[in-house]
Amino acid sequence: MPLQSGSLLGLEHVYWGILIVIYPYLSGLVAGSFIVGSLSKVFGAKQFEPLAKLAAIVTLAFLLIAALAPLADARQPSRFLELYSRPHVPYAPMGLFTLIWTTYVLLALAETYFIFRQGNIYMAEHASGWRRTWHRWLTLGWRNVSPKALHREHVVLLFLAGFGIFLAFAFHGYIGFIFGALKARHLWSNPLMMPLFIVSAIVSGIALMIIAYVGIVGGLVSRKKVDPKIVSGLTNLLMWTIFVDLFLDIVDFLNSGVQAYASGPVYDGFHAIFMGGPLTFMYWGLQLGFLTVALIMTFFPAVRRSRWWASVASLLVLISVYAMRYDTVIGGQLQPKVSQGLVQYSPPWLGHDSVQTVIGIFAIAVLLIALQLLLLPWDESWMEHWVHHSQATRVRPKPQHATIAEKEGL
Amino acid sequence: MATEDSPVSDAAHSDVSASRKDAVLKGVVVGIGISLPLILPHKARAISKPTVGPHVNPAKNMSWEGWDNARLDIPDGWDNWQTILNPDHLPIYHDQFQRIDQSHPKHHWVMVIDLRRCIGCQSCVVACKSENNVPLGVYRTWVDVYQTGDTVPDPDGDIVVDGERYRQDVRVMNVPKLCNHCDDPPCVDVCPVKATYKREDGIVLVDPELCIGCGTCVNACPYDARFLNPVSHTADKCTFCVERVDEGLLPACVTTCVGRARIFGDANDPDSEVSHLLAEYPHVVRHPDFGTNPQVFYIGMSGEISTIDDPSIQHMVFTYTSNADSTLAVK
Repeated sequence: MPLQSGSLLGLEHVYWGILIVIYPYLSGLVAGSFIVGSLSKVFGAKQFEPLAKLAAIVTLAFLLIAALAPLADARQPSRFLELYSRPHVPYAPMGLFTLIWTTYVLLALAETYFIFRQGNIYMAEHASGWRRTWHRWLTLGWRNVSPKALHREHVVLLFLAGFGIFLAFAFHGYIGFIFGALKARHLWSNPLMMPLFIVSAIVSGIALMIIAYVGIVGGLVSRKKVDPKIVSGLTNLLMWTIFVDLFLDIVDFLNSGVQAYASGPVYDGFHAIFMGGPLTFMYWGLQLGFLTVALIMTFFPAVRRSRWWASVASLLVLISVYAMRYDTVIGGQLQPKVSQGLVQYSPPWLGHDSVQTVIGIFAIAVLLIALQLLLLPWDESWMEHWVHHSQATRVRPKPQHATIAEKEGL
Repeated sequence: MATEDSPVSDAAHSDVSASRKDAVLKGVVVGIGISLPLILPHKARAISKPTVGPHVNPAKNMSWEGWDNARLDIPDGWDNWQTILNPDHLPIYHDQFQRIDQSHPKHHWVMVIDLRRCIGCQSCVVACKSENNVPLGVYRTWVDVYQTGDTVPDPDGDIVVDGERYRQDVRVMNVPKLCNHCDDPPCVDVCPVKATYKREDGIVLVDPELCIGCGTCVNACPYDARFLNPVSHTADKCTFCVERVDEGLLPACVTTCVGRARIFGDANDPDSEVSHLLAEYPHVVRHPDFGTNPQVFYIGMSGEISTIDDPSIQHMVFTYTSNADSTLAVK
């Protein structure tokens, strides 16, 4: 007998609101974009080399704000230092997450340093004014560009990318485990939680990188610089990861949505919430429907090559993955633990744990990306422009050795 | 050389002495500034504090008197959680609860709830709220009222519908619920900052000065016994009235129970009333399937209510609030 939907007879609330929905969403974008950025180094997919710097920028921005969401959800966020001074590891999933996140931030900062080092050296030598000081400072004093130093830099970047992929899996797998570890919630206590979160993280990260590549390179640099091969390669990758994601979704459905295969409380909750309940459209329409539409779109070579259609497919994927986070986090809490009926939830617009906070967190992400685009040497044409602009403001002779950029292949 | 040097050194000397004077003067001023509040009588500071703020005015906000109320926030020892929660520095456990048994603790506090005696008067709920200053909208203990059974056809029944006779074969059950102080509490394991713990005598507590309010323990409790306190903004739950227990008193809900349905005691003491009850009567715990080893035992509860929430078997007919929208503000 399914739970009676409708108002709840009991005292229960949705304790983790919309901020905990975007928490795995943001960290999924981090994990996915990091893996895309590492493709050229770790998996030898050289055609994705131009994406590496953009991926580093996106990764760092979303990584820094990924921890803001649970912090904003906590009722006593000013006590966050307790997470470092009294970590409950390895017992508490959230405690271990803090350590993984901190390591990941350090790794992303190191990667940002090494991946932009050559560009910073070029800028430090050619630009003038504050840019010269800034980029000199960013090189941290190591301005050696001999082949030996470049090789060492390459090895370090390779190590960082490899360790970072491990961390990306640990990072996002552990977020899945934060939900999977709570046996009190029937729809969360599921061994699939970890792989499901990792795969959908990669899916959403690839989609984000397609949109970021088309939007940032195509919109801010030049439309002609958007390489259809890269867009097509990423969309191809997206297709295969969506296959895995849909496969896991089907397994999840078989083990929770079919009465014959699922345990009583799991089936009751799934049936009451996702099959005719409050999140039916969110699950079937947005989470599964949009993902299937995006998958079918990626079958067509014309879609894969077109930057517009690839972006539309990516947008569908991003909405679908957001719906998946919503279904998991909110859906799991709509099933009451001791009461009868269903808990009702609609995210508030203003105040604690509200849409307003979510918009603010995404605004910080956009700000961080914009700042990095303006302050890091991520694009040659922008670097040339900065060099000329900074020299035009101050009358200075042009430096003689202007060929370092060509030597380094920047 | 010397004649040239001496005026210079004199000037330097006078500079040094002037700056030294300046430094001493500044030091005295800063010192007085710092020590003045300490020298002034303590009472003067207490009076200068607003005794009743707008949100803690008991006339305007009856939901809470205590932590936030300046009138009650006096340093009499009852605001010190180190003293209240851990009077004899009992060992506390954040995980590895099997070590509690190995340490042979002196007490093991449990509660036995005899449902045959519960009349559903809800006075334990009131006593708990009063004793622990529990804000409106949240409960450390509550009594759910269930109806089990059905209306069945019976030729001698007193209900007549369309010429057919029926009899109500139903039973009302009042089920007091509270934190089960589990022997393997999942809520304690998942706390990222070790703010919640299990004492050696079995009581599971939250330290409101460490809790970051992340809500993991609230979601991890299979009994929904925890909540986020809207005043302290930390996780909160039943403490077995630990400050009373440590002074040799019974929990407030136990002392107020008119039918003596709630019995509190030491399971390690073979002569205690709880030990006798548990030895003599069959008893169940709520949701044994979660493997949490609850330490609140029910006598006379049907197995259906203890294990599953199925409206076809049990029908909850009354509880404190019908929470239609969880985002509604607590009024």
